Amino acid sequence: MPNVVQKTAKGDGWISTLFAGVVVQIMLIIYWQLLKRFPTLIYTEITKKILGSVLGKLINLVIYLNFILVGGLATILLIKIINLWLLPYTPGWVISLLILTACIYLTISDLRIIARFLVLATSLILLLLFTSLLSWFTEKEILYILPIGSSGLKNILMGSKNSLLAMLGFEGLLLLFPFILENKKGVFKTISMANLFITLFYTYFIFLTLISFSQDQLAQMREPILNLLRGITYNMIDRVDLLFLSIWIVPMATSIIAYLYFASKSMNVDKRKYPKVVFLNGFIIFLITLIPHEDAIITLFNQYVSYLSYGVVFIIPSLLLILSVLLKKHESSEST
Amino acid sequence: MMVGCMISILLTGCWDQQLLVNRTLVNGISLDVTKEGEIDATVRALHIQSKGGGLFEIQDEVVEAKRPTVVGLGIDMDSKIAGAIDASKAHIIIIGEELAKKGIHPYIEFMYRNMDSYMSSKVVISKGKAKTILSTEIEKSPIAFFILQMLNGAESDTVIPKETTFTVWKKVLDPGKDMVLPYLEQVESDKVEVAGVALFNDDQYTGTKLSKEKSSVLLSLMGKLGKTNNMALILGQESNGQSISFTTNDIRRNLEVHVDKNNKITCKINLKMDIEVGSFPQNFKNELNIKKLNQDLSDELTKQAKEITSTLLEANCDALGIGQRISSFHPELWKKIRWEEEYQNVQFEPTVKVNIIKTGNVF
Repeated sequence: MPNVVQKTAKGDGWISTLFAGVVVQIMLIIYWQLLKRFPTLIYTEITKKILGSVLGKLINLVIYLNFILVGGLATILLIKIINLWLLPYTPGWVISLLILTACIYLTISDLRIIARFLVLATSLILLLLFTSLLSWFTEKEILYILPIGSSGLKNILMGSKNSLLAMLGFEGLLLLFPFILENKKGVFKTISMANLFITLFYTYFIFLTLISFSQDQLAQMREPILNLLRGITYNMIDRVDLLFLSIWIVPMATSIIAYLYFASKSMNVDKRKYPKVVFLNGFIIFLITLIPHEDAIITLFNQYVSYLSYGVVFIIPSLLLILSVLLKKHESSEST
Repeated sequence: MMVGCMISILLTGCWDQQLLVNRTLVNGISLDVTKEGEIDATVRALHIQSKGGGLFEIQDEVVEAKRPTVVGLGIDMDSKIAGAIDASKAHIIIIGEELAKKGIHPYIEFMYRNMDSYMSSKVVISKGKAKTILSTEIEKSPIAFFILQMLNGAESDTVIPKETTFTVWKKVLDPGKDMVLPYLEQVESDKVEVAGVALFNDDQYTGTKLSKEKSSVLLSLMGKLGKTNNMALILGQESNGQSISFTTNDIRRNLEVHVDKNNKITCKINLKMDIEVGSFPQNFKNELNIKKLNQDLSDELTKQAKEITSTLLEANCDALGIGQRISSFHPELWKKIRWEEEYQNVQFEPTVKVNIIKTGNVF
């Protein structure tokens, strides 16, 4: 992410990320208002309730497509990184098959188990923080971010747009909310805290890469953070980037699990059929990963998927809220 | 079919296995330009051969390849030696003087684009051909390791800066800062010496170098201190002056860049050094006048610092990162000027203040 933000926002990239956090928070408030009206329904049920059966189903198809494509994209990017840094000679489909097998296995199981695994995987973020601390010992130049605000408001906002994409995933709330059993009131506080954490986390890393690399250099790189670790060397341990990446595969796989789960949930099937649906979706993602791994194609794919995401994550929920307020619809009101 | 699938999945690691016995480990690379303008690359490689029973035979060999550009040299090398070539542990990259004058970026680019290569290799410049240094035969260890040790030692003594492929990459692409790289020289047929630092303008060697003594002062002016910094000076006249050697324990550098109304750039460098006297043979009848000695040392070092900054200006090497300061604090001016030319007009005002904190075993 850092290099896309940097491309437009230059030395002010870190302001862009902070701003993106604010946007996400606004979206969370919109979600919250929507969910308060329909506390036991998930996203795809709400659409049907508000828009009626036919239009609702159409929208649901878009939502489903979004999740499956984002899931596919996440897998492609993961495979690409592994292929580029760790296993250059292993065919992509083998890596894809291995990752997806594990992901499907986990997604079939109970939501509680998935949640536990995600918590476990999240603890690996501490590892990322730790390794990033190591990189503070390499040369840093705080002057790179000065003068603050030099790239102009427009570019900072454009940078935010790019960093928003990296922060996606919070839309899962729309699908998960009805399954939260206790203390529904506290949920808003929790997700806001999560948003704050993610925002600060990204800002910290953007800041770190901005002061570590000169701007022309940053524009060249694909994965600045891995490159940052590549420069660290010790007598005992070399190539910290490779060690780090091997561990970081696990947290990266969690986003695939999450999207696989969202996609399967958004199909509104009953419990008995659920495992089959997960298998099906897993297979679809596998097929998506088989598209050629050329830089140009992936960039194009990335672009289309991100447009779709904007629609599903930002526009549709906002419209739903407006409509539900205008039509005075609640969960208890009769469906039309 | 089931078995086939299982095998292909369970043995995925085998696609990427690279056996040590099949590989030739490069530990040093040298790059030169020939008279015809071709790039002449030489590598020093260790070839490991298994003799069975856990015994390995290690051979040190020199391989050379020539091409019009750097691209494709790796392929030539690979076809000349047994086993796949592996540059993941190339500790040093020596670049010949003549080639360095043409710009070193293409050769560094090759190193950082490649995922296998080693980002912490030391980049050094050599007097004359780099090849002669790399093919120097010394008795025991391969020359690359010997040079590596030498460079490490010089780094901790603050004679040369810590520059690796990683940091060179950053500095080459930074418009507001130029770099200095270690400069090696072959003194005898089997001896190599760190002779100081080579001054760069962007990615091109300017042809100017600083001697070991001066590079220590330059690095101090840059605010750098390794483990120690040993200096030896002669105070007063060369003939009857007193010689003193000392170790710097701590430095504090303050660098200020001022721009006045006429866009004249002045750079004030205040350097404070805490030093420990190493040896100072003097007339023991008089008590050591620390105050005077402090003053004398400060004067001498200030004089040297001025010489160094004017050398930097002559070479057009912005090693102190003045351009960086201007672009950060005076962005309007930075957009207006062409730094390459404007740098010549920067006025340096270095002052060094020495403070003796220890005098060793005697007063």
